[in-house]
Amino acid sequence: MEFIVVTNNPLVKEKYENELNVDYADISFRDVLCKVRDMIHKGHRLLTHPLSGSVKPHETPYKSILVSKQATQMDLGEVSIIENSIITADKFAEKFPNMPQSVKEDFQLIDCTLITSGIDAVLRR
Amino acid sequence: MKLELGNIIINDIQFTNEGSKVENGVLYVNQEEIKELVLEDSNIDTCEVFIARPGESVRITPVKDVIEPRVKVEGPGGMFPGWIAKVDTVGSGKTNVLKGAAVVTTGKIVGFQEGIIDMSGPGADYTPFSKTYNLVVKMEPVEGLKQHEHEYALRIAGFKVACFLGALGKNLTPDEVETFEFDNLVESARKYPELPRVAYVQMLQSQGLLHDTYVYGVDAKRTLTTIINPLETMDGAIVSGNCVSSCDKNPTYVHQNNRVIRELFKAHGKTLNFMGMIITNENVYLADKERSSNWSAKLAEYLGCDGVIISQEGFGNPDTDLIMNTKKIEAKGIKTVIITDEYAGRDGKSQSLADADASANAVVTGGNANQVIVLPPMETVYGHLHFVDTIAGGSANNIDAHGNITVEIQAITGATNETGFHNLSAR
Amino acid sequence: MSKIKIVQYINQFFAQIGGEEKADIKPELREGVVGPGLAFNQAFGDEAEIVATVICGDSYFGENIEKASAEVIEMVKSVNPDMFIAGPAFNAGRYGVACGTISKAVKDALNIPVLTGMYVENPGADMFKKDIYIVSTKNSAAGMRDAIKKMAPLALKLAKGEPIGASCVEGYMPNGVRVNLFEKECGAARAVKMLVAKLNNKPFETEFPMPDFDRVDPNPAVKDMAHATVALCTSGGIVPHGNPDRIESSSASKYGEYDITGVEDLDAAGWETAHGGYDPVYANEDADRVLPVDVMREFEKAGKIGKLYNKFYTTVGNGTAVLSSKKFAEEYAAKMKADGVDCVIMTST
Repeated sequence: MEFIVVTNNPLVKEKYENELNVDYADISFRDVLCKVRDMIHKGHRLLTHPLSGSVKPHETPYKSILVSKQATQMDLGEVSIIENSIITADKFAEKFPNMPQSVKEDFQLIDCTLITSGIDAVLRR
Repeated sequence: MKLELGNIIINDIQFTNEGSKVENGVLYVNQEEIKELVLEDSNIDTCEVFIARPGESVRITPVKDVIEPRVKVEGPGGMFPGWIAKVDTVGSGKTNVLKGAAVVTTGKIVGFQEGIIDMSGPGADYTPFSKTYNLVVKMEPVEGLKQHEHEYALRIAGFKVACFLGALGKNLTPDEVETFEFDNLVESARKYPELPRVAYVQMLQSQGLLHDTYVYGVDAKRTLTTIINPLETMDGAIVSGNCVSSCDKNPTYVHQNNRVIRELFKAHGKTLNFMGMIITNENVYLADKERSSNWSAKLAEYLGCDGVIISQEGFGNPDTDLIMNTKKIEAKGIKTVIITDEYAGRDGKSQSLADADASANAVVTGGNANQVIVLPPMETVYGHLHFVDTIAGGSANNIDAHGNITVEIQAITGATNETGFHNLSAR
Repeated sequence: MSKIKIVQYINQFFAQIGGEEKADIKPELREGVVGPGLAFNQAFGDEAEIVATVICGDSYFGENIEKASAEVIEMVKSVNPDMFIAGPAFNAGRYGVACGTISKAVKDALNIPVLTGMYVENPGADMFKKDIYIVSTKNSAAGMRDAIKKMAPLALKLAKGEPIGASCVEGYMPNGVRVNLFEKECGAARAVKMLVAKLNNKPFETEFPMPDFDRVDPNPAVKDMAHATVALCTSGGIVPHGNPDRIESSSASKYGEYDITGVEDLDAAGWETAHGGYDPVYANEDADRVLPVDVMREFEKAGKIGKLYNKFYTTVGNGTAVLSSKKFAEEYAAKMKADGVDCVIMTST
């Protein structure tokens, strides 16, 4: 299945932009979820869970989600997953407004390994 | 299959300059022996060893893993198959346990690591590991070691130390012996035909770095939902590669002492017939979730279950697996009880789970992980306190002039465990 | 430390004035305890005292809610207490509703802690358990001792401003606020017990009730839209400019019915939103964004629908109780049905 990696994680962009469709933007965690929600409304399929990872929303600033490239029909179950994820994310306050670069890089790495497990599953490798 | 767990009750840990040994319930540890063992791995640069006893003014953070020292005395296999021992099937014969002792590994893999164990004070109530005599092994990697290799190095070092200590109990006579017997399916069904047939569905964290679980050395995200003998789990077949979201992640100790299994054995033959254990995963790919939960339901049906207990691990993504498993198993006419925890906000007023369904009508909760607690300063800190200060605790002013740290209990190891290991709950 | 001063609210029956025939008596303030207050005072010991009692007939309160509430609040205020207790009401429906209503009103007006008690099936319980602490009592006055045993300690805690534990520990009805507690048994042991109860069809209590999903199956599709009368309704708070019926911006207590005969477009001059739960700028600029009258008129002209119903019903969904919403919809659905509406488009925000 052809898919798009929606992300705000520069490491994911760097690692995959030559190989896959990466839709990178320098936006907030919540904005990534909202962007994916809008895509699902338009009929893209949600392929990975928006709250992947146990690092809490807004603790990590980074989020990567796989959606199908093709927009077909909106799936109500997926709408429910993404909407609930946004509601859940909103429960958490931003934890580290002044994050050291090294910690940012750790968060980028964690998000990258999580989405890599999704990418590997889709590509069956 | 029959497993005898021989408990050697440990009442204290002390350092010694002679050889490490267990004598009269005291675990004597030669630090140099531990360091030598750990530093066999060229990826680990330094190693320090400490003792943390219940009631002491000690804080351990960030906790990587907690492991119970054990040794195989009789029967096939050995400790931590696929990692330390070969992959022979475990779960039978005799295993000796240094009961009351634990190896706690600490070391910074990533900059936001949580995991606090306070041995006294208000925080101690929230972690099951304030009650164990802990040998704390603090390790620093060689410079430039990548996070994946770092996680691996700490994980394996913890297992090695636990095996080293466990071996000290190999030739001792246990203070008590617990015997567990598990029959095959046909025999089980025949034995207690009048009792409801029950299985345990354990969901294993399986998302990526610091979010992984291994079964006989296999990464759980690469597995299909399968059946495992509960005795194998009790004998070390499942180990932890997790440590973020420490309140609801299962350290290896929790797998070795899985309380759902123990409680099901207690009730077996009395109020229910314990038919088996299903292990499934919590992958990020939605199609994997569908497939894995289909298999949980199918295997629960295959085992002829009337009811199952489903336990969870982690936050957010696994809520969806939990609800899928519950819906699909209930749809087969099999009754469920699920164990989860809650993120209801600091005020307790928000929706607790990221996913929900009316069929999940019997829920045991490990409590609200967002509850705020003030942890007073401890005299001694083993590990890296400045992560609690500046990172894992929260906002910049979460540590006051007296050294009190304000954190949510999600930072405390095992606080809201979702295998029902602890006694915290919420209403 | 001086004793905590408490005012108690009871009805005509518990004041031993009379039964149904005396249910119309107006509020009255008496010094000291009347009826159940005596046993409360014994339970409080040296720590607190019911210094005054307000007595009011259940019919009077029920038929004059606003007036009666204001009168009772004045009486309570005149005593300047630290705490207010109403009831317990057990299974007496009107009394329970009165206890809930007046407790919430006193809390809101005087900003002092309040407590009431009633049977779980008393209609007052569902109406107010999220607003105030309501102790769960037995279903008749025979349960008075048991009720006082739970209410008195909780009242003291509330009056002293002490932290309130979980509902199952303190005895109040679960109010949606999650509070942690340490159980005697570990979660695994509780799970096995719960499963055994569930398997044997015995009662068990979930530790976390799933959110209430009031799922409604959709009606069959309307086959002939070209001849159907279509109504627009909304929980998005669209109202005529100035909000003439004063629909509340949250927790709405009413809905509005407005005529749109001849209205082609909801312009900024004529329409706005009363909703307090979202950014109103875009709705106020063009209320069609929430209630699409303009598009429905286009459809009407193009013959895609038969006609647009000449009224719309509107309320604010923000924090509005499900029970209120149901009541509103039951009323206006009946009106639309009588007017021959075939289908409704309900918009939310």
